[in-house]
Amino acid sequence: MTKKSLPYLATGGDLKDLEQPGFYPGYSTMAQKRSWEDATRKTVTKRVTETAPIRFFSEKEATLLRAVIDRVMPQDDRAEERTIPILSVLDERLYKNSLNGFRYEDMPPDREAYRLAIKAIEEMAQHRFQQSFHALTVHWQELILMSLHDGKPEPANAAWQEMPVRRFWAMLMEDCVTAYYSHPWAWDEIGFGGPAYPRGYMRLENGLPEPWEKDERRYEWNAPVDSLSELREESASKRGSEHDHKGSH
Amino acid sequence: MPHRLGAMQTLPSPMRRFQENDLVDYCIVGVGSAGGVLVQRLARAGFRVVALEAGPFWDTEKDWVSDEKGSHELYWNDLRITGGTDPLALGSNNCGKGVGGGSVHWAAFAPRFHPSDFRVYSEDGVGVDWPMSYWDLKPYYELLEREMPVAGPAWFPWGDPHGHPYGPHPLSGRGDVLVRGCTKLGIRSVAGGPVAILSASHGDRPHCIYRGFCIQGCKVGAKASTLITHVPNAISHGAEIRAHAMASRVSVRQDGRVDGVFYFDREGKEQFQRARAVIVSGYAIETPRLLLNSACPGHRQGLANSSGTLGKYLMAQAGNVVAGRFEELIRLYKAPPAHALSEEFYETDPRRGFARGFAIQTVGPLPVAFAKQMVAAMGAWGWGMRRVMMDYNHWSTLGVLGEILPWEDNCVELAEEKDQHGLPVAKVTFNLHDNDKKLIEFGKQKVMEIMWAAGAKQVVQESRFAHLVGAARMGRDPSTSVVDKFGRTHDIPNLFVCDGSILPTQGSANPGLTIQALAARTADYLIKQGDAIFFSNRRDLSEPGIRYDLSPPYTRFKGNPRIA
Repeated sequence: MTKKSLPYLATGGDLKDLEQPGFYPGYSTMAQKRSWEDATRKTVTKRVTETAPIRFFSEKEATLLRAVIDRVMPQDDRAEERTIPILSVLDERLYKNSLNGFRYEDMPPDREAYRLAIKAIEEMAQHRFQQSFHALTVHWQELILMSLHDGKPEPANAAWQEMPVRRFWAMLMEDCVTAYYSHPWAWDEIGFGGPAYPRGYMRLENGLPEPWEKDERRYEWNAPVDSLSELREESASKRGSEHDHKGSH
Repeated sequence: MPHRLGAMQTLPSPMRRFQENDLVDYCIVGVGSAGGVLVQRLARAGFRVVALEAGPFWDTEKDWVSDEKGSHELYWNDLRITGGTDPLALGSNNCGKGVGGGSVHWAAFAPRFHPSDFRVYSEDGVGVDWPMSYWDLKPYYELLEREMPVAGPAWFPWGDPHGHPYGPHPLSGRGDVLVRGCTKLGIRSVAGGPVAILSASHGDRPHCIYRGFCIQGCKVGAKASTLITHVPNAISHGAEIRAHAMASRVSVRQDGRVDGVFYFDREGKEQFQRARAVIVSGYAIETPRLLLNSACPGHRQGLANSSGTLGKYLMAQAGNVVAGRFEELIRLYKAPPAHALSEEFYETDPRRGFARGFAIQTVGPLPVAFAKQMVAAMGAWGWGMRRVMMDYNHWSTLGVLGEILPWEDNCVELAEEKDQHGLPVAKVTFNLHDNDKKLIEFGKQKVMEIMWAAGAKQVVQESRFAHLVGAARMGRDPSTSVVDKFGRTHDIPNLFVCDGSILPTQGSANPGLTIQALAARTADYLIKQGDAIFFSNRRDLSEPGIRYDLSPPYTRFKGNPRIA
């Protein structure tokens, strides 16, 4: 995690350093760990206490990718000691070459895809702003990433001829959200109940919290307003799907 | 510690182990929805049975976690190549690995197919007819609904109306949304099932605790999977389940009959299991892959492929997910993803301009899955992703489950890439055709309408696919199908296929119950044929008659309400 957007260069404003962002102040899934069974407690606790070393990416690649991840899954509002490791989770997946059961025919293997993309993003930064990607301002970084998000790399780089941008973008986002939203601190942020065996739930309807869950308390959350990655109304319209489709039926 | 299957059940021990050179009656490849039922039936009938399973034999207490990311190993994660104009996501979307197969991570929706699903060509002029009717399968639906057992409404009004042996589950916020939206629009819906999850305790299986981790493997043991419903009973009756055994090819003798299966054991060493008959139950990708990889002199295009249709007519169902954001809290992670549905649009309606239809069902993505859906549905990233996920508890999700017709160009072939054993991996090609696209568009719009009617303030949708069937389809004509109506291959008299891959068409019902019902029917057929399967090449296509005494104990006649 690089805290370069404090103060947030694009907005010129400061982000508050939050122990726990989200609308459920004081809610902690980890505080419930004694109610979980052994296997789950071990798996989830390990996620909080252990961060795998970077073994797949080179130091240079890791620096660039860390900067990319800081923009596609930003945590600048989180206190330093409460940031969720993402790069190390991705690195571990690639180091172990752990697959999700398939590869699109127009995609290179996952490991190659990341290496290609890292090279392409660095070249894009050099070409457009004559600097390394990780040294760019937040706004410039976001401009480059936004062009990948839109599927129209600016400037168009040769690497994107070898794999569809949208597929790489989907894989990158998928890896990032998997690391972030599988972490108990993210569960606290969004008010998810977390592991629930052997205890289970008893209040199923009307959004009621269990006795150990917290009620929602909304407030004006201070994400940087002029960030390019804020939700835009038009982007919510007709989009296809590129992800691994887990979670339904 | 004993080997646990759910919170209260333990694995019967010791399990019988056949010796290396033992000749068994049946070698079954794959212990999933179909394989689990088959091995249990055949063992109870006294046959010597070995079932090979590529994945592990789960101890639910040790191996499974109440966690999304930690459940990665439940799925078939080995490499496959996916392509075509509308490539299918595989892995966690539809493929299991380990005893219980996909039934370990299915959401357990258990609707029956409609009678019309068996006559799609006759009624609508599309797809193909089944070589059997709904009424042939109905007694097996009723039997399996008791064996799983299925909880659901006392009156299920669509298709052949029926009730369920266990009462419906309570609704969650997500179910409320479906019922509220449908009711506003005058669309009939049912709540609390049909779903193969216990709403009350059953023998050594406790009832559901509504924790919502169904597709991560039910540690409770409330959700039916063959791992906990049929496999323990099979082991008690002398079957061997051989885990970590990846079948590489089926061996064919000079006289054109099969005599066993080559497989790689846990150490990666190739072994051979001799058998008097072989049943392949590897599901819609691994089944054709194994048969294609078994090509040998006399069967150059793969086993049982004289028709050239092996691997073709693969189907997935349209599974668009519609998400709606509400002012009030929903907390969509609670309760089983599967618990309310409507089949009001299941049958063909000529006014809609396409053949066949779709169902509308609840789905319940946990945070990681939901975040991925938001990547696809909203293009969310960066701060936008953080913001939309902070409202996770305000979202509710509904799924379309639409029938996609069988097309020859949707297929499983062998790729050039090899797996860790040096076997060519599967290449899956999937293209949507005109009727499919119209159906998906209509279904998507209808479900979005329901979401708005339920009071959503924002509605987005994501295109995806669910389930896999076909690729070794059954039929009457050996020149256009791979197996007959009992799963016996047209080409080789002692080689059978029994799993989702034999379905000629798929309806808009989740296929799990139908796959298990077909397996129970095939088992009855094999038992009635007895030793003739092993010695004779004569093909007897008379109905076997249902055998109730093969059900696991304590499941027989548990009061499936019959509605005349």
